[in-house]
Amino acid sequence: MMKSPTYRHNRITRLTHWINALALVILFMSGLQIFNAFPHLHWGSKAEPEEAFFSIIATNEEGEIKGFVQIYGWSVETTGILGVQNTERGPSPRAFPSWITIPGYFWLAGGRRWHFFFAWVFVLNGLLYFVYNMASGHLRRLLITPKELLRVPSMVLHYLFLRRESPQHGEYNPLQKLAYTAVVFLLTPLIILSGLALSPQMDVAFNWLPAMFGGRQAARTFHFLATFLFLLFTFGHVLMVLAKGPINNMRSIITGWHTQKIPDLAEPGLSQAVVEKATDDDRAITETKIRLADGEGKQVKEGIKNEGS
Amino acid sequence: MKDPSSAISRRKALLLALQGAGALVMAGCENIFNQLHGNERVLSILESTEGLNRRVQRFLTGRDSLAQEFSEKEISRYFKPNGNPPPLTNEYIQDALNGWPIWRLEVAGLVNNPRQFSLDDLKSLPSRTQITRHDCVEGWSAIARWKGVPLSEVLKRVQPKAEARYVIFLCLDSDRAGNLYYESLDLYDATHPQTILAYEMNNQLLPIEHGAPLRLRVETQLGYKMAKYILGLELVASYREIAGGKGGYWQDQGYAWYAGI
Repeated sequence: MMKSPTYRHNRITRLTHWINALALVILFMSGLQIFNAFPHLHWGSKAEPEEAFFSIIATNEEGEIKGFVQIYGWSVETTGILGVQNTERGPSPRAFPSWITIPGYFWLAGGRRWHFFFAWVFVLNGLLYFVYNMASGHLRRLLITPKELLRVPSMVLHYLFLRRESPQHGEYNPLQKLAYTAVVFLLTPLIILSGLALSPQMDVAFNWLPAMFGGRQAARTFHFLATFLFLLFTFGHVLMVLAKGPINNMRSIITGWHTQKIPDLAEPGLSQAVVEKATDDDRAITETKIRLADGEGKQVKEGIKNEGS
Repeated sequence: MKDPSSAISRRKALLLALQGAGALVMAGCENIFNQLHGNERVLSILESTEGLNRRVQRFLTGRDSLAQEFSEKEISRYFKPNGNPPPLTNEYIQDALNGWPIWRLEVAGLVNNPRQFSLDDLKSLPSRTQITRHDCVEGWSAIARWKGVPLSEVLKRVQPKAEARYVIFLCLDSDRAGNLYYESLDLYDATHPQTILAYEMNNQLLPIEHGAPLRLRVETQLGYKMAKYILGLELVASYREIAGGKGGYWQDQGYAWYAGI
């Protein structure tokens, strides 16, 4: 094994990554502010009070205020976190606490302004990322193929220390590709469409929009659930960055440069990986790498060594 | 040998310190966002998407698409009466008990033919009945059957002047501070086929808590646009000079004028 710095993330990817991170944080926090105005979830078109399957509530029994989360008749006390927040002036009813909402006080109109502004940022920024990286071919390397789908279980086993060799070929492993593909092609459309289905004006033109979720209230539920799938992905993403070299990974998403451990050239599939790695970057670097990769195996090895020194 | 209890307390202390640091960071974030939110320039930047939402959504939806209409059996058992309390003055209650003989809808402003309509006048105009979904800005939805006169039919009879751009809805209800509720629509939404002045809900005279004797239904927008207890319509070129100048009671408190989303 040897180490070699490679140019991993192009400028557009790095820029859109950080704009996206900011937009997601603000959309999440302002979304919880909006949710607080009606902290119940329903299926179907309408919200009959007794038909909520999920609620965050506050009860007041003889002056003692308690918070509860209710899911399908199952109830758990969450005083201090959900339903009731401890403030300087004592416990106060509030579904999600002030420190996780924008603005920090209860103000639905304000939350909506942040949410709609950053919804545009999220969508336009996502489009820029998608179109640029589709055209440059970068995205193709992130998307999972049916063949790799079969390797996902062995990747899971590898992460669980139950399998010694990683089934990874090339830059991204099958589990990583599965996660990215699901986020780009399933989760992102889901959260955009379910959000648009909440708009009465959109529903006027596209009756199928709320209908595809089973009604507007169900669309609201899907919008909420998709939020937490994004949160789950973000946790996994940050966890992997921390586990797999936080400094190296942070450097690569800020400067573009990533130190890659290169397995011995005798291993199959490597020369192709090098060609791929070279395609989407600055002109000069790309040319060098392509030339090197075009030659025989020995030349490639020397080329990488030179770049590393 | 190490004393295990000191290790535990050190761990506890570390955890507490981490918690404290976390709380500080979160409180810091909260303060930053609250301050940003208190800044007029930040607010106006955030607000800039309102016009974008309106233009893009209207471009996508086109002029004559209709909101989904539901079947009888989908009507909500419970429909939350939201907003300000009913204007329960003696005159109002008396008139309600007698079937609204005194109440008039006064249409004025930039019109060629200003006039008053009694409730019977309105009922004698062409009517529209629709079972539609009401979407509150808070997040809930409820379905009801509404019957009323299309606003376009009323406008046809008063003939708005060319410079009229908005219909202002003047209402009887007010908040505790005495601010009267009012609302405005541009002619685009005012003349939508499902925009009606409703006098019936679920086959009965409009109940008091839902805005008797007359309320607005505008199915392209959220509930806070739908004026209740309507007393007058005024056609204007601009709403900047009225009350808080933002075009409606809720708008004057920070809500968007365009409530199509």
